[in-house]
Amino acid sequence: MKKLLIVEDEEALCLLYKEELSREGYDVTTVHNTEQVLEMLGRESFDLIVTDIRMPGRDGVELITEIMGLRKDIPIIINTAYQSYREDFMTWAADAYVVKSSSLDELKSKIKELLS
Amino acid sequence: MLLSIISQSFFQPFSIEDNLLVILTALTSGSGVGFNRAMLFRTAGEVLKGELWLGPKSAEEANSIWEVLSTPGIGYVEIIEHNRALLSRQADSLSKRLKPLVYSLDREPLSIPALAAAKREVVWVKDARSEPSVDKTFLDVIGVDEWLCVPLFSGEEVLGEVILDNAITRRPIERKDIKLASLCGLMAGNYMYATMLHKKLADMERMAALGEMAMFVMHQLRNPLAAIGGFTDQLVNFPNDEVRTRRNLDIIRKEIKRLEDVLFKLTPFLKMDMRKPISFELPPVVQTVLQGPNIQAKRESIPIEVEIEDRLPEILGDPTYVGEALRNLLDNALEATKKGGRVSVRAGRQEKNWVILCIQDTGKGLPESVKDKLFDPFFSTKDRGMGVGLFFVKRVMDAYGGRIEVESELGKGTLFRLFFRSREEKGENP
Repeated sequence: MKKLLIVEDEEALCLLYKEELSREGYDVTTVHNTEQVLEMLGRESFDLIVTDIRMPGRDGVELITEIMGLRKDIPIIINTAYQSYREDFMTWAADAYVVKSSSLDELKSKIKELLS
Repeated sequence: MLLSIISQSFFQPFSIEDNLLVILTALTSGSGVGFNRAMLFRTAGEVLKGELWLGPKSAEEANSIWEVLSTPGIGYVEIIEHNRALLSRQADSLSKRLKPLVYSLDREPLSIPALAAAKREVVWVKDARSEPSVDKTFLDVIGVDEWLCVPLFSGEEVLGEVILDNAITRRPIERKDIKLASLCGLMAGNYMYATMLHKKLADMERMAALGEMAMFVMHQLRNPLAAIGGFTDQLVNFPNDEVRTRRNLDIIRKEIKRLEDVLFKLTPFLKMDMRKPISFELPPVVQTVLQGPNIQAKRESIPIEVEIEDRLPEILGDPTYVGEALRNLLDNALEATKKGGRVSVRAGRQEKNWVILCIQDTGKGLPESVKDKLFDPFFSTKDRGMGVGLFFVKRVMDAYGGRIEVESELGKGTLFRLFFRSREEKGENP
């Protein structure tokens, strides 16, 4: 079973992602802030990370840079409400950029694509 | 008196129209240069357009209302109020005749009155009827033979022209009048230029703030919408799971409430344009805010000490906005303070022509790192804060020529000081 790490500070969305992505057959872990991510990555290994950008604690863009420095092999998806960060070159390091919407289809298909 | 009034226009929170009118008043009042009438043209692109004409219609009027302005120690606000009343009374007369007049500043041959502005030189017309470059329509409108054209400019930038005459007293213009009038023109020109630059800057800031707001709103709306969409899809996919249905409906309801909150909290941004300042008493505004239901409820657990100096002079601003600003600060103070702590509101005189309002709490205080960003739009120290409250307070203070200062220490509390311009007290002004 592929392991996903979801970084999301919105509680309702954490619940939604956990339920919906588990149903797709993934093993899903959710964390609420960027501080927990590095700690988590020290303990466990994941197949893919989905992260928001602006969150309490470390900035999401900084986080991506750090993760890349740590383990270059994990694909990262930026999943955010901010469309404008797509143009920020720092986010180009991510493997995919998904703008949050009322449908989970795009996120699901990007995860599938990156894990295949 | 004259120069001091004109120099004040740089610092007063009134609109450029109000301030220009004061300058015209200064040129026409008895204790100023003492011209009978002052006419203002402003440039719009490459033309000079008639805008305002101030002056008594008759010798009697000059003696009655005009003399008010020669009262020693008359304050800036009083002149503004006098002018507003005067203009609404005489909306029909002088300015109406002036407004249709438009003169090119770059097409030769230049006629009088455009000449002075175009050349940036004072033009003294002594006998208009024998002067071929005087525009005939202008001569009909002004109706006298002698006047002075004073250009308003700053560096290369021509901003307008003032035309002064003695239509009522028929007193001939003298050399010393010209010197003083040119000096006033120079100051007024610089004032207009500074105002123009200031407005450009404010427009740019506003555009930047709007961009930032659009981005923020997008984020604030997308998160709840993503949750509402996702949980609604689950309702469709699992119509028979009763427990899940109830839970999802609860979540959806909450997220809809959040959307409403976002809209509500954005209200201050709809008030991007501040209303004209008036002078009003601060204490009743403070009392009204303190009696508001929100504050009353919180006052039960955290007492608010109120100390307002007697006989405070009136302050300049808008009572509703000032009240909202105070409510914002009190809300924050009460929120930051634990039970057993204290919040205080104090108001008093501060130096000449300033009133200070302090809101102090014994709450958690602000870390040094946030102090610079405190008044930025969408910056918040609260988890779910929108960062519009203090931004609004700052805007209110800026709009009315006041200022805000903050002092804070972690774990000890925060003190906000609001400085309001007050109405001048009688007999204190030169």
